[in-house]
Amino acid sequence: MIQLIIKRLAIAIPTLIIIIAFVFGLMRVAPGGPFTNERALPPEIEQKINEAYDLDKPLIQQFGIYLSKIAKGDLGPSYKYKDFTVNELILSGFPISLTLGISAIIISLLLGSLLGIIAAIKRNTIFDYAVMGISLIGICVPSFVLAPILSLFFGLYLGFLPISGWNGGNIYNLILPVVSLSLPQIAIISRMMRSSTIETLNSNFIRTARAKGIPKRRIITKHVIRSSILPIIDYLAPATAGLMTGSIIIEQIFGLPGIGRYFVVGALQRDYTLVSGVMILYASLLMFLILLSDILRAILDPRVKIK
Amino acid sequence: MNIKHYSKDDLDNILSVKGNSLYSDAFKRLLKNKASLTSLIILSLITLLSVFGPYFLQYDFYETDWNSIYLPPSIESGHYFGTDGNGRDLFVRILYGGRLSLSIGIIATLVSVIIGVTYGTIAGYFGGKLDTVMMRIVEILYAMPYLIFVIILMVVFGRNIYLLFLAIGAVEWLTMARIVRGQTISIKEKEFIEASKSLGQSSFLIIIKHIIPNLAGTIIVYITLMVPSVIILESFLSFLGLGVQEPLTSWGVLISEGSREMETAWWLLIFPGLFMVLTLASLNFIGDGLRDALDPKEY
Amino acid sequence: MQTILNVNDLSVNFDTSQGLIKAVDNISFSIKKGECLGIAGESGSGKTQTFFSITGILSDNGTATGIADFNDVDLLKLTEKELSKIRGKKIGFIFQDPMTSLTPHMNIGNQLIEVSMIHKKNTKNDALKKAKEVLDIVKLPRIENLLKKYPHELSGGMRQRVMIGISLMCDPLFIIADEPTTALDVTTQKEILKIFNDLKKYKDITIALISHDIGVISEVSDTILIMNEGRIIEKGNCKEVLTSPKHEYTKHLLSCVPEWMK
Ligand SMILES: Nc1ncnc2c1ncn2[C@@H]1O[C@H](COP(=O)(O)OP(=O)(O)OP(=O)(O)O)[C@@H](O)[C@H]1O
Ligand SMILES: [Mg+2]
Repeated sequence: MIQLIIKRLAIAIPTLIIIIAFVFGLMRVAPGGPFTNERALPPEIEQKINEAYDLDKPLIQQFGIYLSKIAKGDLGPSYKYKDFTVNELILSGFPISLTLGISAIIISLLLGSLLGIIAAIKRNTIFDYAVMGISLIGICVPSFVLAPILSLFFGLYLGFLPISGWNGGNIYNLILPVVSLSLPQIAIISRMMRSSTIETLNSNFIRTARAKGIPKRRIITKHVIRSSILPIIDYLAPATAGLMTGSIIIEQIFGLPGIGRYFVVGALQRDYTLVSGVMILYASLLMFLILLSDILRAILDPRVKIK
Repeated sequence: MNIKHYSKDDLDNILSVKGNSLYSDAFKRLLKNKASLTSLIILSLITLLSVFGPYFLQYDFYETDWNSIYLPPSIESGHYFGTDGNGRDLFVRILYGGRLSLSIGIIATLVSVIIGVTYGTIAGYFGGKLDTVMMRIVEILYAMPYLIFVIILMVVFGRNIYLLFLAIGAVEWLTMARIVRGQTISIKEKEFIEASKSLGQSSFLIIIKHIIPNLAGTIIVYITLMVPSVIILESFLSFLGLGVQEPLTSWGVLISEGSREMETAWWLLIFPGLFMVLTLASLNFIGDGLRDALDPKEY
Repeated sequence: MQTILNVNDLSVNFDTSQGLIKAVDNISFSIKKGECLGIAGESGSGKTQTFFSITGILSDNGTATGIADFNDVDLLKLTEKELSKIRGKKIGFIFQDPMTSLTPHMNIGNQLIEVSMIHKKNTKNDALKKAKEVLDIVKLPRIENLLKKYPHELSGGMRQRVMIGISLMCDPLFIIADEPTTALDVTTQKEILKIFNDLKKYKDITIALISHDIGVISEVSDTILIMNEGRIIEKGNCKEVLTSPKHEYTKHLLSCVPEWMK
């Protein structure tokens, strides 16, 4: 297991460095970017950037400094907000985005897998059609269409739920954002789970289990699920990436001051350091999730050999 | 590996077995599938409307009319889907938006298909170390947060519609490359490829003449599934104000405006949303139908 | 001798996109207690589906009609729940493909013990004891070690022995062995057939041995069925049918057997 983790880290860390190099390169070529010479910045920020990145040093050295700062967790000063560092901005949004993201991912995984399994077992029944129909809506109705419609209906029309704001993490304020964020993922996961469960149910070893006279419930819990959940484990990282991008929109729509919000504001105002900081944070998170799903897979599937 | 030797006649025989009938059969099967057929009709209608509709309507998409702002949908006024805060006719705007959304969908998809197919066939056909390296690169790129990457490109290079095509195409090719590589590997093992090799055809010719035609089915299926995701991506960016800019409009732009004004004018959100959702759903159904049609399961 | 399985007018149909497929067409046969029935026929002749239908493990698109009396109970009339109390307990099934017939993520020990823990309500310890016993019967070495292994760590022959072991966990009256040796080399094949002969002789277990290989069948079987296209072409005493086949198809089948096996 430790060998597996080391192997994966040996891929993940260079990948991250490449991504950072890429971001750095983009900022160098960006018109008016932090690493070019013709900048029109307020003098205070100009000075901070100079201090932070030693801009008179040669390029490769600049990158070295940039990289080592990131390794220490320092994403530099904001390019637009003169009183804040990128770290401060990200940290202020982090609790909100994290709460949103973790609730959404847990709900999507649990509900998506459960619905998929039941639909597969009750294949071609009303339940199956209903789940597949709803998941079709989840796939075809993008979150930026769904979220406004949900808030129009539940917030404005029925008046049940608040349609915007964080309100200190009040559960009612969370419902609409989390639902709009998870629905597309529930849709995808339930479809994946349904088809992989059907495939497993049709496999020879399930026939063996039936021939052994094992009760249906036990067949599902002991023989089917551990095989059919594997594609979902592999989907963990892409799902997280989906939720990250989804949260950018959702935070915008529901007026939640999370990281996604800062990212959009940063993008619109060309706050290069902020935008790259968020990109690097997201990339690191994804690397971590890929590692996590590799480990989970190795635990669940004895056939995974450490190559 | 032992390469058998074939005469030219053998080769022709082997090749002629797999004819065009495969695709025409598949098309017939597709038309028998009710969901796909309906989707095909809806999609053609939306496309035709978007392309030709604006010529037949009495309003222009930029025409503001301060006497008719926020008109609800009605037949009498001629604003079938109502008007927006500038008194512009929503129907025309939806059709113009459709032109843009659909063309971005198609063009960006083509970009990604070209990159993906080239990359995938090369990796799959030549195999070995080259394949390992190429696929490792794909794996690494997969771990990138796509959209954020596109946004950064847009931030750095400015909002430019051609860049948008390229940027979206550049992130969407990965899946295509993976699938094409897998298929290429299995086609490569087939008899007729060996036959061509033994006749001394060059790799380039074999890829162009034998491999890619056999990939056509897969490629078509993935195009129908990729166009919707590109349309969503574009709308997503436009929704955030990072994609298409006024005076141009796309479904994403319209939905974004609509969601801001839904309290006063629900139609501004519902109708563009409906067009978009119908298009996405149709494409998905057609994709699913095509997949079944090209790969009929026996039982 | 007492009849243990009596099949009457059994048909199996599959509903497919190309219409109804008749896999088994109105067949009748019976097996006496303690004897071994060999079922021979070429690929696709309906051998497997006959026994799938009797034990109620047909694919979802298949339906079976007719009567299959097992100890005077018509298996085709039982519910899934009632059937599952007979399967694994009174009837053991050994499948055609040992490579894919074991659950990949469960170790061998657990796959064995769950059978008797469910059917006989054995404690884990008793079940483990039984598991070691049956693995000994199928002549697997280093049993302690084996119990913790996963199927992918075993060879095809070992997996097939494990399959046979699973079918023996509850001391069944009747074992259905579907091509138990097809995927194996000749030496392993011989050893496995010896296990069946022992089971028949010492444990008085009734066996249905399916194979397209007449040589295999003649080693163990007392009676034989020859099937083709879902129908029974010829049935009777194994030796008699093989030495003086009445039907053309049987002669044809026999002509495919290599000389040295006869
Ligand atoms: N799920 C199914 N749907 C449709 N047809 C099926 C299905 N399962 C089996 N069949 C058909 O039933 C027929 C009999 O199959 P069966 O498995 O009994 O053959 P077999 O005699 O065991 O052959 P083999 O020696 O290859 O195992 C075959 O023609 C097969 O195509
Ligand atoms: Mg069979």
